[in-house]
Amino acid sequence: MKNITGKLKGDLKELKKLLPAEDTLTFEFTAEKGLAFALIYADPITDKELLGEQVIRPLLRYEGEPAAAEVGKKITSPELRTEKSFEKLCEEILAGNPVLLWEGADEGIIAGTKKVFTRAVAEPSTDVVVKGPREGFIEDVKINTSLVRRRFKTGELKMDMLEVGRRSKTVIVVCYLEGISTKQVVEAVKKKLGEIDIDYIPDSSYLTHFLASRPYSLVKQVGTTEKPDTFCAKIAEGRVGLLVDGSPIALTVPYLLIEDFQSSEDYFVPPYRATFTRLLRLFALIVAIYLPAFYVAAQLFKLQLFPVKLLLTIAGSIRDIPFSPSLEMLLVLLVLEVLNEASIRMPKYVGMALSVVGALVLGETAVSAGFVSTPAIIIIAFSGIGLYAVPNLIEQTSVVRLVMLLVAGSVGTYGIVLVTAFVILYLVTTENFGVPLLAPFSPFRAHDLRDSLVKYNLGSLSTRPRLLKSPNKRRLR
Amino acid sequence: MKLRKFLHTVPMKIYLLLLAVVAFAFFSNDFGLVDIQKTAIILAAGIDKTEKGYSLTAQIAVPKGSDRTTGGTSSVEIEAEGQTVSDCISLIFSKTGWVPKLVFCDLIVLGEEAAKEDVVSSLNYFLRNDYMPDSCLLAVCEGKAGELISSKSAIDDASSLAIEKLFSDAAVRSGKVVTNTLKDFAIDYYGVSKSSYLPYVRMTDQAGSQGESGSGGSSGGSGGGSGSSGGSESDGNSEKIYSAEETAIFKNGAMVGLLPREQTLAFSLLQGNMSTGTVNSEEDGRPVTLTVMKNEGSVALKTDGTPRAELSLEVTVRLCCRGTTAAMEDISSDSVTPTIIRNTEERLGGYIRDLWQTTKDCGCDIFKLNRMLYRSSLKQYARWKDTLLDVAEADVSAKVISMK
Amino acid sequence: MNKISSRQIYLFLACVAPVGKLILLPAQLANFSKNDLLFPLLAHLLLQAAAVFCVLLLAKKGQTLYDLLVRAFGKIVAKMLSTVFALFLLFAALLPLLEQKLFVQNVFYDTLPSVVSFAPYFLFAAFVCAKPLAGFGRTWDILGPLAAVGLIGILALSAPNADYAALMPAGASGGAGFLKGAAAGFPWFYDAALLIPMLGHIDYKKGMAWKGALFYLLGGAFVIFFFATFYGIFQETAVNQLFAFSATSKYYSGITMLGRIDYVFIYALALVMAFYCALPVQGCAECALQAYGRKKYLPTVLGILISALLFALSLLLDYKFADVLKVISGTVFWLFPVFCLAVPALLLLFLIKGGRRETA
Repeated sequence: MKNITGKLKGDLKELKKLLPAEDTLTFEFTAEKGLAFALIYADPITDKELLGEQVIRPLLRYEGEPAAAEVGKKITSPELRTEKSFEKLCEEILAGNPVLLWEGADEGIIAGTKKVFTRAVAEPSTDVVVKGPREGFIEDVKINTSLVRRRFKTGELKMDMLEVGRRSKTVIVVCYLEGISTKQVVEAVKKKLGEIDIDYIPDSSYLTHFLASRPYSLVKQVGTTEKPDTFCAKIAEGRVGLLVDGSPIALTVPYLLIEDFQSSEDYFVPPYRATFTRLLRLFALIVAIYLPAFYVAAQLFKLQLFPVKLLLTIAGSIRDIPFSPSLEMLLVLLVLEVLNEASIRMPKYVGMALSVVGALVLGETAVSAGFVSTPAIIIIAFSGIGLYAVPNLIEQTSVVRLVMLLVAGSVGTYGIVLVTAFVILYLVTTENFGVPLLAPFSPFRAHDLRDSLVKYNLGSLSTRPRLLKSPNKRRLR
Repeated sequence: MKLRKFLHTVPMKIYLLLLAVVAFAFFSNDFGLVDIQKTAIILAAGIDKTEKGYSLTAQIAVPKGSDRTTGGTSSVEIEAEGQTVSDCISLIFSKTGWVPKLVFCDLIVLGEEAAKEDVVSSLNYFLRNDYMPDSCLLAVCEGKAGELISSKSAIDDASSLAIEKLFSDAAVRSGKVVTNTLKDFAIDYYGVSKSSYLPYVRMTDQAGSQGESGSGGSSGGSGGGSGSSGGSESDGNSEKIYSAEETAIFKNGAMVGLLPREQTLAFSLLQGNMSTGTVNSEEDGRPVTLTVMKNEGSVALKTDGTPRAELSLEVTVRLCCRGTTAAMEDISSDSVTPTIIRNTEERLGGYIRDLWQTTKDCGCDIFKLNRMLYRSSLKQYARWKDTLLDVAEADVSAKVISMK
Repeated sequence: MNKISSRQIYLFLACVAPVGKLILLPAQLANFSKNDLLFPLLAHLLLQAAAVFCVLLLAKKGQTLYDLLVRAFGKIVAKMLSTVFALFLLFAALLPLLEQKLFVQNVFYDTLPSVVSFAPYFLFAAFVCAKPLAGFGRTWDILGPLAAVGLIGILALSAPNADYAALMPAGASGGAGFLKGAAAGFPWFYDAALLIPMLGHIDYKKGMAWKGALFYLLGGAFVIFFFATFYGIFQETAVNQLFAFSATSKYYSGITMLGRIDYVFIYALALVMAFYCALPVQGCAECALQAYGRKKYLPTVLGILISALLFALSLLLDYKFADVLKVISGTVFWLFPVFCLAVPALLLLFLIKGGRRETA
């Protein structure tokens, strides 16, 4: 590892050799007393105005010794560090922090004048609330940490910074409340992050693979949120949070499946309302997964599941349909998935046209043309809506729904029961960071049911969830 | 290392293989399944005895298609004749190509001739069939069941739906009809009393009916080629109405008698079924109708000495109407007089005594006295089981209370 | 996920174990004991409760069946006895599997489906074997309440249609009827034997043995109520009702309006039954693993082998269920009291004696 020599020309040459990219520029200037300085910076990500204001202007009148400590005193930037190694200096330059060298320098000075491109803090589109805070995380980890820090004015909030990614050097902030989160989980998270050997982390979702106990599983094992209030609430319960630079989605562990049936708004409305909406979400999800499957299985294998009048209505509707009930349902489901995918990706101005095409052309016309039946459209529409009642689980539940449909079309209702048995057994045996995914239902923890599918009032939630094994149990006195 | 890596991916490969198998099964879609489009949904069946064996007329629901502007249920009746009921069902399959499904069969009607023999020989197919709901209603009809099922109802699209209306809960509560299901009939048949009852359906022409009126009604048969029957030629198109005020009684599975409407009413009252119906009476030779507000009927068996049946009835009534005109002030103050009460008690007592006599004459234990005896004392049962109906006399009491 | 908690054991005994008795057993007992079917049932429940008491008392030692056998008889005999017990569980698994297969074909289909329609169950059974035993304990936290809801739902819909007087006169079938019913009922009562492979994985709590027996009897009370309702509904025709719990609720008056809403409860119980029937399969694998060592992929491989064997047997015996039933409940029924009642009692006796000797 080479260090700087103090000979400006030679040091600049060495840096240029290490950073040959054309967007890495050097600005050389001389102070009044004749001391030669050079600023090396990555042009697109350095705030040059700030650089001129805080570094160049004060140094133009520099009259002191060429020692880093003396030079540093003149620079008005609040973020200053020194470094000798060329390698480290290069890393800083590439991170947007300019490096100052001068003739006779024993160390290079790194000024924190990185140019930050950020969007404004806005309400996340995936987690809209009527009541409650509307802030959402953005891609900049510093702003995200500030959103968290603002909510915990205590030294107990620890934000341990780690870098992951051989080339991306992505900053990951491990947030937890000391004395409330369990040390074992914090250590385990850090250990798992430290073991990651990947060259690039574009988003926090990459980390979920490494944090999960069953990385290839379809089942979600790490909590996600875009809302700082939710993130902080989870940390306050004793979880460990992860903020990843470049990602607006924060992660939390340990994760319980029930978390995704809870919305931040549940805590800002009366508890009976919160309980009702949580149960409604569960019902919607169950209907979304099972309804198409049971509809198909009933038509193919068990007509008795329909009341006779409904059966005759359905029989009338599908009489002229050229496909089998299972194939018909699969086609409508695929159309829904395509519409869904397209409506998310399409530019907004085309979206309106797409809904017209989807609703009228594919729906109404397909029915009148006799390609699909009206009940099939109704079933899939209901299922599609139901799935969005729990938006954080859409990726998983849409796959389960498809599997259920395939099994229902081939084995019938017993297939549905068996897949359910598979799913139950799989879920109960899944745990992450020592916490079972299906808790507090399995293993049953009566205490933690107070904020699960039901929501007790705040007075009853005086202690933290026992599942998280927090050393500090009481949160309300 | 390579082996470990391979083993690590085995579960994923197994899942993919399973998915492929399921997808294959899904798209090939044939494990002998009979989906809705290949199914004949049988709403009702009529069974008649023929020389060959049995004739079964199935009323099959026909979906109306997606353009359902008229509502209701279309149906077609298919008849088949075979050695057994099962044989008939198979013939229906071979005639239509639809797989007959009995899961929605809510009514089985037995023809008069079929009812005169042990009907369980006609019904045992249904009792053995795991895919047949034994909660379906059972009835006997005048004449041929096939003609009843194939007839054109004046009040509903399908004859079976019209007949089922006669057996609704409201109809049972009116006391005008008693109903029975396949399961209960089988329990009675295999039980110690070996006696049961079924509603007796009669079909009559609706006066002044328009033959072709109504929408989407029963098609009345599926054409001559298929061997179906659409009622008799002379009145095939006339609309029918049905009544089931009489009750057929059975001993050892064979119909042994018929309770007229008065005795059906008495039976219904003794069963405690009636809660909203009316009872006719008279005052000074003029007709009076009473509404039954409450009915407590009971049948008990006294076993000290020679067994005696206790048939007692207590009904609370209100005046419903008189067959005479009256001034408005008289209507408002009118009530059930002691004369009406006495006459009604006599009338109901008479019905019950007639009912008791009919059951004795026919040897039909529709009050399940043998069962009562069996449940109360095995010793007594062993003594009286063969002669109970012959030796037992009935203490009849009918009490009518006027609602204040 | 190392131990099965006491709560999970209680849930199993009170809610899950009763479900296995609701298909063929009511008709079987009605066949032999007629309206006295509750007496042999009660006798079985009491005997099983005593056996459950013994097994849970053995759980106090915190040792597996194999370890206990080694302690009592030495390694070689322990291996042999573990193998015999595993084979018994494999044998015990056969009847519920065939019973469930018939049930599935009847209740989940309108027309008799292809034989392969039940094949996926054996995949599930293999999957169960691959999962840790304690994980299976966790399923009872979910299945227990589900079974309770299913059973209560079925009973609520069925009870109004039952004529409980049909159970009279008590004792009509006599001692012979009782004995025949009791003998024929043995293949359905092996719940204590199902707990034996779990020994060493149970987190023993003080008083667990008598509480477990009490919970078993509590579940048994529901079974008795169900049997009474079943006989009250079908009376003399009860013997013909092979799929009891799917049959009793269909006479509920609301069904004509709403369709077969009772299927919600029937399917819930069928789900529980899928797990219950997999228990002897898993127990068989567990006993073998305890005796011959637990290597990483062995549970999965063993599960696949056992399930494949059972699948082959189910195909082979597809049209011979009546014969199988006759043999199991008529000829070799005595195997069940030997393994489910005598084994736990003897094991307890040996260990108590051994324990005393050790103390001395």
